[in-house]
Amino acid sequence: MSYLEYNVKTVPTGIRKVLYVNWPLVLLLTAVASAGFVMLYSVAGGNLDRWAEPQMKRFGVGLALMFIVGFVPIWFWRNMAALAYLISLVLLLVVEFFGHVGMGAQRWINLGFMMLQPSELMKISIVMLLAAYYDWLDVKKVSRPLWVLMPAVLILLPVGLVLTQPDLGTAIQVSLGGAIVMFAAGVSWIYFGVVIAAGVGLVAVVLSSRGTPWQLLHDYQFRRIDTFLDPSADPLGAGYHISQAKIALGSGGWGGKGFMQGTQSRLNFLPEKHTDFIFTTLAEEFGFVGAFSLLLLYVLIVGFCLISAINNKDRFAALLTIGIAGTFFLFFSVNMLMVMGLAPVVGVPLPLVSYGGSAMMVLLVAFGLVQSAHIHRPR
Amino acid sequence: MIRTPLRPLARILSARDRGENPDAIERENLRLRHEAMRDKSRQRAEGRLLVMGLLFFSAFTVVGARMGLLAATDPVEPRAAASGASILAQRADIVDREGRILATNLVTHSLYAQPQSMVEPERAAVELAAIFPDLDAEDLKEDFTGSRKFLWIKKKISPEQMQAVHDIGDPGLLFGPREMRIYPNGALAAHVLGGASFGREGVHSAEVIGTAGVEKTFDGWLRDPGNGGQPLQLSIDLGIQATVEEVLYGGMKLMNAKGATAILMDIHSGEVVAMASLPDFDPNTRPQPALKGDPSDSPLFNRAVQGVYELGSTFKIFAIAQAMDLDLVNPETHIATKSPMIWGKHRIRDFKDYGAELSVTDIIVKSSNIGTARVALMLGAERQKAFLGTLGLLEPTAIEMVEAPTGKPILPRNWPEITTMTVSYGHGLSASPLHLAAAYASVLNGGTKVTPTILKSPMPAPGPRVVSEETSSILRSMLRAVVTRGTASFGEVPGYAVGGKTGSADKPNPQGGYYKDRLIATFASVFPSHDPKYVMIITLDEPSENSGSEPRRTAGWTAVPVGAEIIRRVAPMLGLRPEVEPPAQHGITLVRN
Repeated sequence: MSYLEYNVKTVPTGIRKVLYVNWPLVLLLTAVASAGFVMLYSVAGGNLDRWAEPQMKRFGVGLALMFIVGFVPIWFWRNMAALAYLISLVLLLVVEFFGHVGMGAQRWINLGFMMLQPSELMKISIVMLLAAYYDWLDVKKVSRPLWVLMPAVLILLPVGLVLTQPDLGTAIQVSLGGAIVMFAAGVSWIYFGVVIAAGVGLVAVVLSSRGTPWQLLHDYQFRRIDTFLDPSADPLGAGYHISQAKIALGSGGWGGKGFMQGTQSRLNFLPEKHTDFIFTTLAEEFGFVGAFSLLLLYVLIVGFCLISAINNKDRFAALLTIGIAGTFFLFFSVNMLMVMGLAPVVGVPLPLVSYGGSAMMVLLVAFGLVQSAHIHRPR
Repeated sequence: MIRTPLRPLARILSARDRGENPDAIERENLRLRHEAMRDKSRQRAEGRLLVMGLLFFSAFTVVGARMGLLAATDPVEPRAAASGASILAQRADIVDREGRILATNLVTHSLYAQPQSMVEPERAAVELAAIFPDLDAEDLKEDFTGSRKFLWIKKKISPEQMQAVHDIGDPGLLFGPREMRIYPNGALAAHVLGGASFGREGVHSAEVIGTAGVEKTFDGWLRDPGNGGQPLQLSIDLGIQATVEEVLYGGMKLMNAKGATAILMDIHSGEVVAMASLPDFDPNTRPQPALKGDPSDSPLFNRAVQGVYELGSTFKIFAIAQAMDLDLVNPETHIATKSPMIWGKHRIRDFKDYGAELSVTDIIVKSSNIGTARVALMLGAERQKAFLGTLGLLEPTAIEMVEAPTGKPILPRNWPEITTMTVSYGHGLSASPLHLAAAYASVLNGGTKVTPTILKSPMPAPGPRVVSEETSSILRSMLRAVVTRGTASFGEVPGYAVGGKTGSADKPNPQGGYYKDRLIATFASVFPSHDPKYVMIITLDEPSENSGSEPRRTAGWTAVPVGAEIIRRVAPMLGLRPEVEPPAQHGITLVRN
């Protein structure tokens, strides 16, 4: 039983909900997405039809979806958490056996009108489920081993499935997203220490497995690690993305080359210029000022979510908001770090900016949940 | 938290005394307790949130700082790519004395395969074999479907071939740029240039290293980026080299020789203007050294520099020059030439009997072995050896070619009087044609030592004196007489006053002794003899002129006409005007007068 349900009377109802929407957050999201439209227009060489227009349409649909999700009371979503998790899990299993194979990975389900990535859904449903779990769980039991084991299993189940696709980036996002919720819920430091130590050990084992018959990662994944550690070793091969991205960032300088003036992306030096590596185009054309402004927008989005969470006395709502903010944070920080050569290339898009349907829809629905938590917070 | 009992009876009683409602107090207590619990968990949650916020913030800081750092750097191309570019275009060109290209570079592509990323290895193998007939489709298939991750297919391919391979469209077939050495003049000056091949090979570039000739001698210089792309300038003249090679080839065929060599040298500076050795090869496709057969018959063998032969009568002028320089004889001194000359158990013969005596001039003109041997006896072994050493005939030549040290003269093991005599007419001591050219230049240019060089050099200071100017002049007159009325009468070229000396040496038989019907025919010449500018050496290996009733092999019939034809063709190209010969000087009275 949530504290919230005793306070239903103070929660806005009907059309009045519009007044209680977290409007700054909506504005920030729109600003980031608009930056994305501009960049997609630019990388298409001044062509609106190619990427920018479909992206705008999807953003419109996504925004509408966000408001619909936001106006539904938060307790409904709490009750749906387990169901959402189960559906995502089943879809992951379906994709495992009947999925569409593309780009060397099996990640998509063809829904006819769009290609769905269940792993994207899982990023949100794991946060929902864990928030609901800790809302239900007595605070005193949070750090007891059995009650820690349960969410750990709930996280590792989808992570295992995602890893077999294989999709290292999403696996990291799902597990870290879950971990953020567990941390915010107050699970003892000791567990995190143990997991981090185990993780370091695992990395050592994985790296030492290279070249042996029981090799744990794909060759391409090992190459990405090599590339990350020394991109200049093979600037025309595996290190190509990163070297070219760094050139783009460097050539942008402080003020940038100007809109539509980026050569690195325009001349096709950069692959994936409209998806994972779109940030480089922005950095090249608008320089440090543009890139840092985008970073600030992202920081503000995360900041508004955290403030909303702190002011929210409902445990589920607060944990959900934190978890979604954390997942969002993982999205853009991993992408930016990867583009700037501080993290291995794991294939994480720049949220709301990169061209792509699944990720944007899922993110906007997630922010719908944040809005719902904000609108229906106890007062 | 200290638990306060909810209903201590005493409290209830005292509350009742004060007229308050104990239930209200209890509700209030419950509410306070709930709030305290909630506050505590919230406090913890907020602490956690703060930690997380800090983590987020530090991540932002890292991202932002990195952004600033990258924005502040100058964009540079990745280093590995840059170093590939610097290997490209590294080797300097080689040009002739007029700046015409002898060796330059051409950008081509290499073709390699990464079978792991091939889509249709079988089809690619079949189509590759169609493009390159020397490749075998079955072998390629095996390579492409095996476990290999990388293999070279072709080291250099033409643009047409590259397009054809492109059209196969297999992503596992890849091209790497590379520079190759090209010799636009084909076989011209092949032995001088030598050749180049690939050293360390990478996908993005390959090292070009010299394998022979000046390419190898100057390998370090040619690859030194510090020279700023300045070409290596040789003393060779492309046009003259071409003429010399053409005439020499024709002469070699005409005289049925198996090999031939020609050296044209500036008599004062020692610059080699043309140097040819036949048979030759194309340095663009330099053949592998043959594993069997005589290496000195290989096209790769540079007869001019590496070939050491007994050069026969051409050596006679050295003994005469030294004897005149030491005032032991003068051109009119008569020397006994009764044939045969018996010395111990040895007999020395002339080509034919020249009677009892010949003047020193006629010894040269008629090429008398006996006369030269008697003059050599006047000199003695020590002085003869010293003089030949001064002329550089006892050491490898100093020319700037890797092959030079292998052209080491073969000297007699000891030097008794009989050796002194045989060496004086060119037997028992083997040297290369280049040795002969340098020695002739030294004694004929006015008497200063000449060091052969293949590089265009500003006029060097004259070397140390080897004979007096007068001796040198007399020698030239003698050589002129050899052409006008002696053994080299086919050497006359109107207007250029050619002087020269023939030499026909029987080839040594590896089984011992000498062949009777195989000889090395040499014509050593100087022109114009009254104002010397160039020396030229022509050597034919086993010539046989068959127009007469029996084969004629001596130099006068074989090497001399070839040499004369070369001089006739190249003298105008060298900028020499045909001149009327001035009357003989030095008061030499020719014997016939």
